[in-house]
Amino acid sequence: MKKIATSSILLTVALLGITSYLALAIAPTEATMGDVQRIFYYHVPSAWVAGVCFFINFLASVWYLIKRSPGSDAIAAASAEVGVIFCSVVLITGPIWARPVWGIWWTWDARLTTTLVLWLIYVSYLMLRRFAAGGQSQVMAAVLGIFGFVDVPIVYMSIRWFRTQHPSPVMGGGENSGLAPAMLHVFLFNLAAFTVLGLFFVWLRYKMELAQQQLESAHAQAALKGVA
Amino acid sequence: MNSIAFLKAAYIITWLVYLGYLARILLGMKKVAAERAELERTTARGTASATMKRSAS
Repeated sequence: MKKIATSSILLTVALLGITSYLALAIAPTEATMGDVQRIFYYHVPSAWVAGVCFFINFLASVWYLIKRSPGSDAIAAASAEVGVIFCSVVLITGPIWARPVWGIWWTWDARLTTTLVLWLIYVSYLMLRRFAAGGQSQVMAAVLGIFGFVDVPIVYMSIRWFRTQHPSPVMGGGENSGLAPAMLHVFLFNLAAFTVLGLFFVWLRYKMELAQQQLESAHAQAALKGVA
Repeated sequence: MNSIAFLKAAYIITWLVYLGYLARILLGMKKVAAERAELERTTARGTASATMKRSAS
């Protein structure tokens, strides 16, 4: 346990340290927004990881409904929680970036609103898992996970479908989109590092969820034997 | 407030959220391991006393 804790802390600090160094010291300063644009190197990779986590949740939920395996339910629970954490960072860093650039903390445009709805869907998912009574809570959570995922492509496409305060896509957004090579290298590195961090959190949380499930069944067995 | 203050705030909050979440997972794992060990001790004691009762009768 001590070994896992030490290596987890070291890995997390190393990934956050390297990504911060690259974003704050190596990436060039953006011409229009200045230094505050460096929030981009944490904001976008966090959004990407949240999307990946919700996709994992979607796949695990489908698999749970087909096979009813405790492992897929544990993966679904772990990925939803990690997704909410990364989505929270997106919803915190977004307004902090918006205030000096747009002059406002928040606006109800399509990208921001659909992202907030996404966050609310998966917070509801976690609350359902935590508080729903009876043996059907995992099935209900899986169904919610599948329907909730519908919002992920809507969030992604919202800046293409609607006129928004949020900027147009930086990558793959047409002729005038794209990043300078020096910015692109830092961005891609941070994207990879945050993906590793997110998947590592999912793995850790999955181990914890499985251990919790095993503990609950051990408690139930002990109660049946009249020991505990 | 200048833009550097916003930049610092965003990075500090992100670090705090991720490290805080990692701490929460690690503490949760520690708690589950402790509960598991406690249950195993209780089960072992219960099984031993049941065996003693059976052999005494």
